[in-house]
Amino acid sequence: MTPRGIQIISGPDFNMFLEAIMAVQTVIGPRERGDQPGYYLFSRLQRAEDFAPGYKTTTLPPKKILASPKEKLFSFTFDKPPRLRLHVDASPFVLLGVHPCDLAGIDALDHAYAHPPAEMRWSANRKRATIIGLDCQPDAYCFCSSVGTDAARIPCDLFLTPIDHGYLAEIHSDRGRQLLQKANTSNAGEEELAAAKRWRQQKVERIRAKFDAPLERIADILETGGLTPTWKETAKRCYSCGSCNTACPTCFCFDMIDELDPDLRGGTRYRTWDSCQLLDFAMVAGGHNFRGERWQRVRHRWQRKFLYLFRQFGRPYCTGCGRCSRACTVDINIVDVTNQLIAAAKMEG
Amino acid sequence: MMPFARKPRVAFFDFACCEGCQLSILELDEKLFDLLAHVEVVAWREVMSEISEEYDIAFCEGSITRQQDIERIKTIRDKAEIVVSLGTCASISCHNALKNKWAMNELLALVYSEYGEHIDTIPARPIADVVNVDYQILGCPVSLPEFETVFKRILTRQAYTPSNQPVCVECKRNDILCVHEKGMVCLGPVTRCGCNAICTAFGDACRGCRGLIDDANLEAPVRALFGEKLHPIMAEVARNNRLTGKEIIARFSLYNNTGRVGKGEESSDGTA
Repeated sequence: MTPRGIQIISGPDFNMFLEAIMAVQTVIGPRERGDQPGYYLFSRLQRAEDFAPGYKTTTLPPKKILASPKEKLFSFTFDKPPRLRLHVDASPFVLLGVHPCDLAGIDALDHAYAHPPAEMRWSANRKRATIIGLDCQPDAYCFCSSVGTDAARIPCDLFLTPIDHGYLAEIHSDRGRQLLQKANTSNAGEEELAAAKRWRQQKVERIRAKFDAPLERIADILETGGLTPTWKETAKRCYSCGSCNTACPTCFCFDMIDELDPDLRGGTRYRTWDSCQLLDFAMVAGGHNFRGERWQRVRHRWQRKFLYLFRQFGRPYCTGCGRCSRACTVDINIVDVTNQLIAAAKMEG
Repeated sequence: MMPFARKPRVAFFDFACCEGCQLSILELDEKLFDLLAHVEVVAWREVMSEISEEYDIAFCEGSITRQQDIERIKTIRDKAEIVVSLGTCASISCHNALKNKWAMNELLALVYSEYGEHIDTIPARPIADVVNVDYQILGCPVSLPEFETVFKRILTRQAYTPSNQPVCVECKRNDILCVHEKGMVCLGPVTRCGCNAICTAFGDACRGCRGLIDDANLEAPVRALFGEKLHPIMAEVARNNRLTGKEIIARFSLYNNTGRVGKGEESSDGTA
């Protein structure tokens, strides 16, 4: 996506910029975990120094800010007639330091939630957020170039690329332009544009994990079937712990729970993240489970990411962020398994 | 909304256990008063000295480990409209069932030598093995938010089923760093949640106190540690802890011995 403008902002100016934003609204971004150095999470930043621009990844994607793991929907009473009170939080915030893969994750959810019947809570939260993207360098788990998200810019308002002594800031929306007015910026010269280009080239060159076939081919392979031995072999190692789903930036399956007030006169309804890898996920009334076998649930994850939603929305519901592989408690790697499937399909002819 | 005809009378009973569950409920602090406003407490040994023999809701903690326990829990069942097994000892026998790997006469000789013949002991069983139980609450000790939820479900006559999701789900929902990353052995992937991942939240690993999920894959950790493809972090875990595959699985049986209830002759090397 072509930016509407490009500016340069120096490191010290950027910190002042952040402090200026923090003075008027909440800023949420990647910060180092207090309990384990070298690990990061999206969380509220109190000071500009809290921002960790060099973070490789976070356990949870920024999805957790826009669709909270346990989201309060409404409260209710047992009066006659019952009274419902919608829980709404309209306060704006800045979501800072979102990598291209995670921008793609938010975009994927924009499409999924906009699909009729549109999900109003997601879009309300999206309106609250001003998103500042940030370019990155890959680690061993990243495979964004295989799913076409390495240069994603939608849906950010500003996008930062690290250059010497600061950032190159791309403006992608009016909101982004307005926000950047809080900063001391200068026009980008040839040298800075070249530096940002080098950063992007280096990024793509450094990506080691790759799918051995294009996405269309992977969808065909999944549709054709005949991959049961690979699914069963993978399932032998799988705990069905759901970490791949709960760490995924595009998974949106949920469960509902009601919690009663202590006085038992009413309560609150919450929406929580669910996972198709869990045994009870596909359990229906009467006790029938249409994915009762572990390997069926493993297969379902790939089919959702690379077949069903790929065909429905014309994009994979995978951003190449590698979080599922990092989060896996037994080291099942999404790229390795996908390539095993591709190899198995070749053997089948 | 109060489907009980009058304020239900609540009693707490303990069998073989540390009574930590009934004690920990006190930590609900001021919330406790909100909950107790709906009931009349008639027996609660850790809290009051009065005891009444008439009650509607019986919270029973501890495992059944003696012949006389069987008679006692049957009496409670007869009197109470609702019986709740409170905590892991009452629900899945917890550590009490570690003794089940010995024959009872061997066990008595081992622990009490010649005095063993005076001791009444039987293989440890969960309460639901002896009488019908209406509600089960897991945890060592029980989690306070879950106790509160179940308490409210009882009062509104709604069912409650302990979660069949692993602790990893709650760990992720709370954005807690996986303790594998710190080189710890964690039973979270195979253990029922409902605790809101309290141990990992405070930097410890899951010890499995709520019992195994229904489809726990007990082969997976051994495969990951010693299988054809070595998980880099799990390999580090194995090295740091100097654990063999057998030992890893044995760790899984600390809280999870009920599968061997009444099978005293079977060994408990974790090969179940």
